[in-house]
Amino acid sequence: MPIVKSPPSSRALARAWFDIGTQSVGGGTSTLFMIRRVLVERLGWITLREFTEAWALSQLSPGIHLVALAGLLGRRIAGLRGVIVSVAGMMVPAAIITAVATAFLGEIAEHPLTIAALAGIGPVAGGMTIGLALTLARPVLQRGRWAAVDVALIAATFGILLGGVAQTIVVIFAAGAFGAAVLGRGRPTSSDASMG
Amino acid sequence: MWEQLQLFLIFLKASALAVGGLASLPLLRADLVPHYVTDAGIVQALAIGRLAPGPNGLFIVSLGYLVAGWTGALYALIGASLAPLAIVPATALARRWLLSAWFGGVVRGVSLATAGLLLATGVTIVAAGGTELWQLALVVVTVAVTVRGKLHPATMIVVGGAVGLAWGR
Repeated sequence: MPIVKSPPSSRALARAWFDIGTQSVGGGTSTLFMIRRVLVERLGWITLREFTEAWALSQLSPGIHLVALAGLLGRRIAGLRGVIVSVAGMMVPAAIITAVATAFLGEIAEHPLTIAALAGIGPVAGGMTIGLALTLARPVLQRGRWAAVDVALIAATFGILLGGVAQTIVVIFAAGAFGAAVLGRGRPTSSDASMG
Repeated sequence: MWEQLQLFLIFLKASALAVGGLASLPLLRADLVPHYVTDAGIVQALAIGRLAPGPNGLFIVSLGYLVAGWTGALYALIGASLAPLAIVPATALARRWLLSAWFGGVVRGVSLATAGLLLATGVTIVAAGGTELWQLALVVVTVAVTVRGKLHPATMIVVGGAVGLAWGR
């Protein structure tokens, strides 16, 4: 049963999301963990059930799922004001730190040591991207006879992009339409899109 | 003015058509490389996105900064903040529709396509950064660590930088 209570002030709400945004390095699960700890356990503004439900819905959103989650939880806590304050509170400070770090790296980018370090960071960035692709593809393993269709779709998009056959945006729309027509009949899983 | 709007739309579009923060990478790369930024810039942005606080998807802000300074960072921030919020009215107005098999299929199709596109983008980033043996070894280790998902994501960036300092000169 929902307990009727007055929503927190914008200041308190912004403060909570500021903590979440700035104290969780690396995004993904570490941010998710922080949100749960601050909003559910420490402040009690959200029940665990509401949190879990908002998380599941946020996985269907375009773009950064954590922004969708902040928006959904913000609305639950304080309506439209909650949406704006939550998303801005999580994103703006973290974005400023990100931009400042980029500016700083730009200053030292030509230094031989930076160039050497980046020669090692390049393969890591590439490897993370490949690893993320494999993680996204992992639910294929539980799809039984649908797996072949899934793998074919992944292989096709991989080949199309590397071969420069069609524009990325065309591939995404085509895959969405294909999914609506064909894949919707398979068993959908919420873990399909579990990345930050 | 027109070019500014175009730039903003690149960031908004990439966020709106991707499922997940890093999934916008192939779209961004298609629009920004080589006209606005190089693959080396993409690597820098991805590294900073991992090391800086907040969602990983914030690499888009770093990319925005590389493309057009603070203005670019602002465009990227607005684009990345607005696109996911489509879910807020959607859950209020069309909840049943969101949970339908049909929409599940769309998300699934886009996710699988994203897997293929990210795979291709990853290969391109690796190829652009150099393919010496020690670099390829780093790729293999990073892929394994990322798939296992146990180690903190920022760790491998630090390891890569250290290995680069040792071998990359």
